[in-house]
Amino acid sequence: MSRPLLEVRELTCRFGGLVALDRVSFAVQPGEIFGLIGPNGAGKTTLFNLISGVTPATSGEVLWRSEPITGLPPYRRNRLGVARTFQNLRLFDGLSVLDNLLVALQRQPRSSTLAGLLNGADHRRAEQQRLEQAWQLLEELGLTALAERDAGTLAYGDRRRLEIARALATRPELLLLDEPAAGMNPSEKDSLCDLIGELRQRHQLTVMVIEHHVPLLMRLCERMAVLDFGVRIALGTPEQIRHDPKVIEAYLGGAVA
Amino acid sequence: MDNGLLVQMLLGALLGVSVYLPLAAGQLSLATPAFYAVGGTLAALLSTRWSLLGATPEGSLPLPSLGLELVLGGALAGSLALLVGTLVLRLRGIYLAIATIALVEIVRVAILNLPFTGGAVGIFGIPQPFAEASGYLLPALALLALAGWGCQRLEVMPLGRAMAAIRDDELAASCIGINTTRVKLTAFVLSAVLAGSTGALAAHFLNTWNARQGSFDASITTLAFVILGGSRTWLGPVVGGLLLTALPELLRPVGDVRLVLFGLVILLGPVLAPRGLITPALLERLGGRRP
Repeated sequence: MSRPLLEVRELTCRFGGLVALDRVSFAVQPGEIFGLIGPNGAGKTTLFNLISGVTPATSGEVLWRSEPITGLPPYRRNRLGVARTFQNLRLFDGLSVLDNLLVALQRQPRSSTLAGLLNGADHRRAEQQRLEQAWQLLEELGLTALAERDAGTLAYGDRRRLEIARALATRPELLLLDEPAAGMNPSEKDSLCDLIGELRQRHQLTVMVIEHHVPLLMRLCERMAVLDFGVRIALGTPEQIRHDPKVIEAYLGGAVA
Repeated sequence: MDNGLLVQMLLGALLGVSVYLPLAAGQLSLATPAFYAVGGTLAALLSTRWSLLGATPEGSLPLPSLGLELVLGGALAGSLALLVGTLVLRLRGIYLAIATIALVEIVRVAILNLPFTGGAVGIFGIPQPFAEASGYLLPALALLALAGWGCQRLEVMPLGRAMAAIRDDELAASCIGINTTRVKLTAFVLSAVLAGSTGALAAHFLNTWNARQGSFDASITTLAFVILGGSRTWLGPVVGGLLLTALPELLRPVGDVRLVLFGLVILLGPVLAPRGLITPALLERLGGRRP
């Protein structure tokens, strides 16, 4: 296999006496869709928090293209290429849909504050490029008609897609999706599944997905890891996971005949 | 309305904008009076002690010297903000507010006790660049226009958008690549520069300057400018500052009841208009555009 894009090694996170993650290790290859499942409280979101830098790791390492990024703040990791969405949606509710994207596009391209103040040619050109990218992302995610609305007024499904668009606006290589299908009906889940596949193609993404809806993940992912009480109990292709006795035990409890 | 009151109203509006800037990045800072005091004290010291500025024995001052003092006052306040901000901006919400109140107190006590700031009496006989109070209208208006133009530009700039994003959700902002510490610090320093320059102008206008210029009272008064006027657009604190500075003077004919009425306005303002008098929605209705 090629050099992994992201690797976590012996990653541990404790909150007081609670061990949220216990020496979790795995590697994510460039271009793959990597699923993360596990019962409630297994530590899936905590793992995302550690990868994106939101929560500090107690011990262990996060490697980005084999370089350690364990101590970096979230904004530095994002600039390296890690973007995420949140389980409970964290949009900028007071800003318009378009501004939610423009704020994420502020380094695509960069422009100086002085040029911005004076409305110089550099600034205007940069703004034009940001606007073009923003409109393109809105179109990709079907949000064009809502561009001028305040993000706080959007319907739930639109909010989910706007958050994905905002993460994409930072031009990530790795996109972390935390329960993107939560609260969606089966047909919406299907179209989300297609959308994630399309976005991966178009933006050359590596994707990590947390999802409770296992059939969706089985269809979407090349490989997946299973967490239970902070421990990685399985790692492999969906087919391997499906037949793993430890996974069956974690989900159904007790031995299976 | 006399010109002196008009100048005071403009100074109030400037301080309102100074409180607004960190608030636009979600940071409740009450440090504006400290920076105002620093700028004013520097201007008072320079113009009374430094002969190069060209103050005459009759107490006048060349205009370029006033301009230089505005720049220096802003720069000194900004540098102080850079130092202090690096430390206190780690705090959030009400804790940041308390830390900035402490800064106001420290600066007040320092100015009261430093050997060269005139103690409780302060510095007086500060040279006047203008013979009449009306002369100050122009520089105050110019400073306010500059501040307003800057705030207006911020709305369509990466820095201003980053500030708005941090106000809405700091964690999400950091996850889309915004260096939140730096953006918050920038807003804090801009606020200090504006307050420092305003102080420098005010020192000349008031003719005397002492430690009472930057007190905890002023922290609350300037915060009231923003609360009454609204914190979602820079025009809010401008209107709040103009109104609340003028009100005690305009109410003077009614006697002692005026302070009660003043308190009532501060109380009823947020009750009747929780988002302040000037909101983006109102501006949109008035002008058909989003500022």
